[in-house]
Amino acid sequence: MLEVKGLSKFFGGLEAVSNIDMTVKAGEIFGLIGPNGAGKTTFFNLINGVIRPTRGRVIFEGQDITGKKPHSVAKKGIIRTFQANNIFPDFTVIENVSLSCHLKTGIGIFEASLHTPGSKKKEKDVLERSYEIIKHAGLESFTNTAANSLSHGHKRILGIANALAAEPKLLMLDEPLGGMNAEEVSETINLIRRLLDDGLTILLIEHNMRATMSLCDRIFVINFGKKIAEGNPAEVKENPEVIKAYLGAGQNA
Amino acid sequence: MTYLLTSLFLTVCLIFLPHFMSGPYYVHVFIITMMNIILTSSLRLISLSGQISLAHGGMMTIGAYTSALLVMRLGLSTWYAMLIAGLFVALVACLTGFPFMRLKGIYFSIVTVFFSEMVVLITQQWESLTGGSGGIYNIPAPGAIVVTGLFNIDFLSKIHFYYFALFLMIASLLILYAIEKSRIGFILKGIKQTDSLAESIGINTIGFKVLAYSTGCFFAGIVGAFYSHYISAMCPDTFGFFYTINILVYMTVGGIEVFAGPILGAFVLTILPEITRVLKEFMPFIFAAVLIAVIFFLPEGLAGLFSRLIAFIKKIIRIKNA
Repeated sequence: MLEVKGLSKFFGGLEAVSNIDMTVKAGEIFGLIGPNGAGKTTFFNLINGVIRPTRGRVIFEGQDITGKKPHSVAKKGIIRTFQANNIFPDFTVIENVSLSCHLKTGIGIFEASLHTPGSKKKEKDVLERSYEIIKHAGLESFTNTAANSLSHGHKRILGIANALAAEPKLLMLDEPLGGMNAEEVSETINLIRRLLDDGLTILLIEHNMRATMSLCDRIFVINFGKKIAEGNPAEVKENPEVIKAYLGAGQNA
Repeated sequence: MTYLLTSLFLTVCLIFLPHFMSGPYYVHVFIITMMNIILTSSLRLISLSGQISLAHGGMMTIGAYTSALLVMRLGLSTWYAMLIAGLFVALVACLTGFPFMRLKGIYFSIVTVFFSEMVVLITQQWESLTGGSGGIYNIPAPGAIVVTGLFNIDFLSKIHFYYFALFLMIASLLILYAIEKSRIGFILKGIKQTDSLAESIGINTIGFKVLAYSTGCFFAGIVGAFYSHYISAMCPDTFGFFYTINILVYMTVGGIEVFAGPILGAFVLTILPEITRVLKEFMPFIFAAVLIAVIFFLPEGLAGLFSRLIAFIKKIIRIKNA
């Protein structure tokens, strides 16, 4: 589904991402892990077009999307979340999600500004769909709450709901479990499992190893922008390179 | 509902107001006030997307010159010329908007200031077209609208311009209100809050910002064109930097959060200097003091003051009833 070929990004002399090849298959959940500063988020930014790669290609469903603007990448079906700023803080939960339905509303600029009956009907459909998504994400008791007053965990879940509203084919989650307590973590993991059951393809960055190991079909490990391992969770866990990257190379290691 | 009734009431008031005015001077003040209301409200449309434009003065200058020159050089009807001026300004805003909107916050504002200054310099230097720093004068008034037996609007008296300005203001405010309450306004507000997220869920943020910028500047162009035909003279620096800053002050003082804010701000701050005419010399200081006071004590602007007052009165009533 997603194919990355020789992707590199240099910031001056620093190789933030260096020559990464990766393939994500449809319907799988693919984990991307690595120590802090390994280049995981940069990698996400390269795929969805926030920054342009220095070298390499990103191919999605057979189409070359390298260097496209984030909103056109989104239109192709790749939606990502951020580590922070996943919500519109001054909007309520339902407003957040209905704004995120942008790509699927089918409301034109003139139609909207003239307030035609057609656009009003479509607007109503959007609200219904948004409510479905909120329910799916388990936020229905907060429908009319201002996003800013949600708890940290619920804000993060709302971030995922916002991404879902754009109807992704490939969902890229950047540390969805960051800063959550145990209960919120299990709630979010259940949500991710439900999404997988719906047939979504997910690319996941996560530092919570237990969650990553239990969720992911395959895991890709990078450090200092370079690939150091790839395989199923059990293989990756045993890989000496990975252990070295995470625990450091002691004298006896 | 209260909004609708209030605006209907105000409209009726404004329709009958000239009959109670003692002279053309007051009519003039009201015409300028209505112009400022359109300008401030259209500036607010741009600011919905989180970008503060300071190009309004420049855009007005372009609109004024375009319309005046179309009429004087090409002999076009004033009505068409004004509309074309507005559209031309929107086009200029669209073309400059794409590079400008890559900048955010204060950087965008600075670039728009430079743009405005550039417009002033070009109109000063391009003497063959614009008449240089001397400006152009004897710009004709709009053609008369005659409906035989009913009325004859020939734009010889200020009252006719008053009604024209009133019509422009109501039409502009209706359009701006419709845009703000539509999905476009909703999207712009979203972009203002978190534009990286808006972009990543598929909103063309630059496109929408340029749309807002271009629409806002369209109204600036129309007002500029109106002004040139109303005053019948135009100088390159009529709408200089300080004119734009005044509009910004009206918006900030009135309150940027609600639609009525800029209307209130433009009204109060255009009328205020006229009432306190004795203090004309000190007006910039008074403006500055009002601005600072509002920023410190009324972060939501004068509009916020009103809603606070209403809340306060309701509270008192509730206490009395209890």
